[in-house]
Amino acid sequence: MSIIETQDLTHIFPDGTVGIEQINLKINAGEFVIIAGANGSGKTVFARHLNGLLTPTKGQVLLDGQPITKNLIEARKKVGLVFQDPDRQFVGQTVAEEVAFGPENLNLPPAQVDSIVKASLALVGLSRFSHQSPRVLSGGLKRKLAIAGVLAMKPQIIILDEPFTGLDYPGVVQILQQILRLHAAGHTILLITHELEKVLAHAGRLVIFYQGRLVADGRPEAVVHGVERYGVRMPLRKGEEVKELSWLK
Amino acid sequence: MGQAKPFKSLPTLKEAQTGVDLRMTVNVALFTALIIIGGYISIPLPVGPVPIVLADFFVMVTGLFLGWKGGLTAVALYLFLGLLGLPVFAGGASGLAVLFGPTGGFLFGYLLLVGAVGLPANKEKLSLGKALTALTVGNLLLYSVGVPWLKAVLQCGWGAAMAAGLVPFIPGTVIKIIVAVALARVLRPRFQPGY
Amino acid sequence: MAEMTLFRYLHRDTVLHRMDGRLKLGSMLLLSVSASLAGALRHYLVLFCLLCIALRVAKLPWAALLKELKFFALIIWVVLSINATTIPGDPIPNLPLPGVTVQGVITGLRFAGRLINIILICVVTTGTTPLRTLRHVIEWCLRPLPFVPEVRIATMIQLTFALIPVLFIEFAEMSRAQKARCLEVRKNPIKRMYYTVLPFLEQTLHRTDQIVEAMEARGYSEIRTKAAFKSKTSDWLIFTLCLFVFLVIVFTKRG
Repeated sequence: MSIIETQDLTHIFPDGTVGIEQINLKINAGEFVIIAGANGSGKTVFARHLNGLLTPTKGQVLLDGQPITKNLIEARKKVGLVFQDPDRQFVGQTVAEEVAFGPENLNLPPAQVDSIVKASLALVGLSRFSHQSPRVLSGGLKRKLAIAGVLAMKPQIIILDEPFTGLDYPGVVQILQQILRLHAAGHTILLITHELEKVLAHAGRLVIFYQGRLVADGRPEAVVHGVERYGVRMPLRKGEEVKELSWLK
Repeated sequence: MGQAKPFKSLPTLKEAQTGVDLRMTVNVALFTALIIIGGYISIPLPVGPVPIVLADFFVMVTGLFLGWKGGLTAVALYLFLGLLGLPVFAGGASGLAVLFGPTGGFLFGYLLLVGAVGLPANKEKLSLGKALTALTVGNLLLYSVGVPWLKAVLQCGWGAAMAAGLVPFIPGTVIKIIVAVALARVLRPRFQPGY
Repeated sequence: MAEMTLFRYLHRDTVLHRMDGRLKLGSMLLLSVSASLAGALRHYLVLFCLLCIALRVAKLPWAALLKELKFFALIIWVVLSINATTIPGDPIPNLPLPGVTVQGVITGLRFAGRLINIILICVVTTGTTPLRTLRHVIEWCLRPLPFVPEVRIATMIQLTFALIPVLFIEFAEMSRAQKARCLEVRKNPIKRMYYTVLPFLEQTLHRTDQIVEAMEARGYSEIRTKAAFKSKTSDWLIFTLCLFVFLVIVFTKRG
């Protein structure tokens, strides 16, 4: 059974703009899926439905076969969403406090919150910054902090919305390595990006969104050749193969 | 996505389920932060010797955007934090010493200011006349507490109190009222007040 | 602005830093009331000595205090000079300043003494208490009160202080951007202020939605983890000392 599934997912904004239309997608546990598409193609709107931040106009999201509306808190625990611009959304004054926010919402005992925070920070290598303000971190470390905040909820699925935007080369490498470690640890990864050249080699599946619709879905080698039609830059140069598409050496 | 829903005010699913108005909580925190930094930033003006401090300006803006309920909460939180000794008042001052010092009347007066401004701002539509009246009344209330307080603490005459606590601020206050109204007219239609 | 983010909290490992936040704030409250009630010079001196010892014990730098005083020096000076010249009384002998009265100077000095003590109390408390603890204490104190949403207030405080540095930087960046576009040329102060504040406020209002979204994504709930407090014997000893000072000042004042 797929871990997460959308059925006819449609979202139309109050002003009539179509966000997404008739999206049917099944993702199995342990997959590494990349969702690509031009700006405004609906990929972010889609991601916000997967943990119930947006309510669909039509259709539904199933998590382990159950509609997420049945237990939203459970959905938000299982589906961790790392936002595009996480440093605009930090709520803690210190790195540790930022990570503690999630487990505190779950009303866990203080000692358990502490140990979860320590473990999550260790996973992303931010332990030594725990008493500092999130603002002092570099771009790459800020993303890592956002990931730690999500990890503290012990999610099964991690969605990363444009995780490479605005990062320099070392930052991209840092985040890419982190994502691969999470995937290796058993998390299902959903990565939203339009920069296929940085990461496509690691994914098992490529999904393309275009004007709110799902237009292609399959093995990266099969899908990648048609992406320019949908406003995504063709990442392959002449003679290059998909397995070379990574910023990791 | 960003351009599709600026300043969305639909209730989120969570709100609908639990009745917790998270948006108002966040708004109060944001506007409290604005009032606090308003005490630190100033815009020099070509008129008058006193630079414009933005704390009272942001109190007016808070009233216009959050209405009296959210506005009073934000200002009360501001005063409470200062009372606890956190450096939130103008220039990084804090504590009982400031609240009960010469300028304390103006700080307590912020409650009256935000209440008066926020009262008509609760409605969805805010006419120009109503906004201007509310801001003028609010500022009159502010100074009617602030100046006598100053006089009482300094134990000086009315003339000195007026010269120190009213006259230099008049041009700045007029400017702030005009700017606050202009901002509300541009931004309020896109950002519905919470109450 | 750096001190805004730290809130002058200085991380050390001392008795006062480790003290139970509830007792520490209680002690601070007692001393603040004592300072406000104190009338005689010896009261001010007792408080002043006690606070100086606290400052030493907490290993706080004197510079922190002096920085505070710099701001208040003006207020003290203004009040002192106004009081000295306007309060009627006997002139000070052998002083060639006309109009200065003994009673006036004493009133002014009393004000200064009270102010300095209260500033010291604030320096010691904020210097030894991280904001997170303070927030937890506030939440704990408000919990028994009916109709007070203590968790919501604590969340507001947390957000406010997380946002202050961010908003401050944003405002500075936007003013710079406007300067680069020659806003300075505008002579009309209304337009100048309007164009400085408009983009800033717009961004800020937009931020509300982003933060609400981030909080919801992580399952914000007002039924959340409560902080654990632990009080030690030394904490109670410090509190008892403050209570004793408070009582002495209250009773000798009456007598």
